[in-house]
Amino acid sequence: MNEFRTVLVAEIMRRVRSRAFKVGLVIGIVAVALAIKAPQLIGSALNRASHSIIVGGSASLNDRAAKLLSKDFAIEGVVSQPNAPAQLLTAHPKAGALVVVSAVGRGVVADVYARDLSFVSAETIKRDLMPLNLALATSASETAIDRYMNVPIALHSVNSKFASSAAADAAKGLAYGLLFFLYVSILMNSQLIMTSVAEEKTSRIAELLVASVHPSALLAGKIAAAAVLAVIQMASWLAVAYFVSGFGAGGSGLSMILRTVTPLEAIAFAVYFVLGYLQLSTVFAAAASLVNRTEDLGSLSGPLVMPVIFALFIAIYALGFPNSPLVTITSFIPIVAPFTMFARIGVSIVPAWQIALSIVINIAAVWAFAVLAGKVYRVGMLLYGRPPKLSQLWLAMRS
Amino acid sequence: MLQVDHVAKSFGDVVAVNDVAFSIPNGATFGLLGPNGAGKTTTMRMILGILQPDHGSLSWDETPVDGSARRRFGYLPEERGLYAKMKVREQIAYFARLHGLTKQLSQRRADDWIEQLQLSEYADRPAGELSKGNQQKVQVACAAVHEPVLLVLDEPFSGLDPVNAEMLLGILQAQQKRGTTLVLSSHQMWQLEELCSNFCIIADGTNRATGTLADLRAQFPTRVLRVSPATDAVSAVLDALPDARRLGMQDGAVDYEVGAGAPLPRILRDLVAAEAITRFEAIEPSLQDIYLRAIGQPA
Repeated sequence: MNEFRTVLVAEIMRRVRSRAFKVGLVIGIVAVALAIKAPQLIGSALNRASHSIIVGGSASLNDRAAKLLSKDFAIEGVVSQPNAPAQLLTAHPKAGALVVVSAVGRGVVADVYARDLSFVSAETIKRDLMPLNLALATSASETAIDRYMNVPIALHSVNSKFASSAAADAAKGLAYGLLFFLYVSILMNSQLIMTSVAEEKTSRIAELLVASVHPSALLAGKIAAAAVLAVIQMASWLAVAYFVSGFGAGGSGLSMILRTVTPLEAIAFAVYFVLGYLQLSTVFAAAASLVNRTEDLGSLSGPLVMPVIFALFIAIYALGFPNSPLVTITSFIPIVAPFTMFARIGVSIVPAWQIALSIVINIAAVWAFAVLAGKVYRVGMLLYGRPPKLSQLWLAMRS
Repeated sequence: MLQVDHVAKSFGDVVAVNDVAFSIPNGATFGLLGPNGAGKTTTMRMILGILQPDHGSLSWDETPVDGSARRRFGYLPEERGLYAKMKVREQIAYFARLHGLTKQLSQRRADDWIEQLQLSEYADRPAGELSKGNQQKVQVACAAVHEPVLLVLDEPFSGLDPVNAEMLLGILQAQQKRGTTLVLSSHQMWQLEELCSNFCIIADGTNRATGTLADLRAQFPTRVLRVSPATDAVSAVLDALPDARRLGMQDGAVDYEVGAGAPLPRILRDLVAAEAITRFEAIEPSLQDIYLRAIGQPA
């Protein structure tokens, strides 16, 4: 236990002091802040441009059209019979488009002049002006027409976790975000372990270490240290995300979304992060003990990452089809389960026995991986020269 | 006492150690000799518990070598390195901590070693910034900082320049004085002959000879006769001796290996009768001579 604690503390200190950790932490914090703020800033600029219009046309239609269009657009001005659209738009820099409404027969037509047509939705304008068109055709008021066009629909969920489709969409978005966060955290920290093991082997300090401390304690200390740092890293990112998205100002954006995380989801995230991380980090550490040069890590990590990418794809599929046979089965399979089961928990009601069984299977897998990785690590750290073939490795492990 | 009792170790079809046995009294300095691939490193790894023997056993003071015994051992492997970015003082203290020393004691020992090795100006610099010689000093400190009862050094002199080799020799002599049991392997026989009191020569994973230098000489009872001038008449006298073997020429003299019981007065008389000899010397075999005979190579 003392050996483990000594390795744990030393590894944490070594990593925390490393430039890579400091830079990674700062870049992560800045990236999270930017990821939250940038879409808001860009979106607000785009919205202003695409949702501000000038209404122009015959005086008898302008006010009626402006009233209808104001449901979806900010009206920057109402102009009668404009004859120079380009100049008008230049004079109103906030406006993205000029909509000229004219009466034709027993209806209306609209001419839209925009700096960038991709900013203006013709469908939205058509929908907004529909009551005016029908009013002219039927002589009924636009208010009445508007009322007739809206059919009240009540949604009632059956066997669903969510009371409304909006709530379901929000949960799906949240699960998607957390899933991606889970994927990045597990993969990034497992690869850190891989680099750390390879560094010790290639710097030839490994033999001195395994003569001083039991290889299992050494491996366990390294993995636990990386987990501690991962938690610190994630906590800092989440804290930044929480505050940057408006928590301090009464709550908005991501902070509000994060508040919708249920205790089960929070626990599931923590449990499946630990399980996924332990499974992958042990495999990555064992593999890294077999390389002789850190340059070989790239070719080694490729095949190891493939199952994780596969798991992520299944998990994304699970967000849409949480109870499909493929998703249900894979939510018990080690390496894949931490992603798929978490996705299922995020968007559906998973029977408790399935969650329990999945956790038990994955804990057993962690134990099996740790035993196997420990054997490979013990042998691999002392092997130099050409990487051993699988058969040689197997024999060495058995001996 | 370290007791290595007929240990064997294989890796698949490759037999690294077939049958090696020896014992080392406490405080002795022991030389483990053998050609490359003889099984020296594997034997050392078994002593340290890094590898478990397939057969046989190892004990320290009559207790099987286990994790707790290993914490009292020290090891300087042949292939050795350091954490390049870790500071020298921290690095030495870290290895002390790994061997179970308290934080305070680890730091004190690290400071002592830094002072002893004259590394004070580098103490707070990353090890990667040190010269190779200074890095080697730090490696030795890491291996011995916890004051091990048994210090195993695999080819400790390999790659050292004469100055650093002298420095290491000094450290090992200091360890001898404080009663540390030392196990060394080296290809530099003269250094081992100077340092070690006991030896084990292994080849192909098997014991070839064990004991003190006197024991080894008794196991390989030979002498080298060095005679000048190296004329045909001298060679004819020596060639006529039973079991004599010509070794070569050195400084104008001819060297012959003869049995330890060869009748030196009679040989000298025959040589004087055959030639006006200027030099007749009977030399005890060196460790190198015995080593070469033990592993089956011509001396």
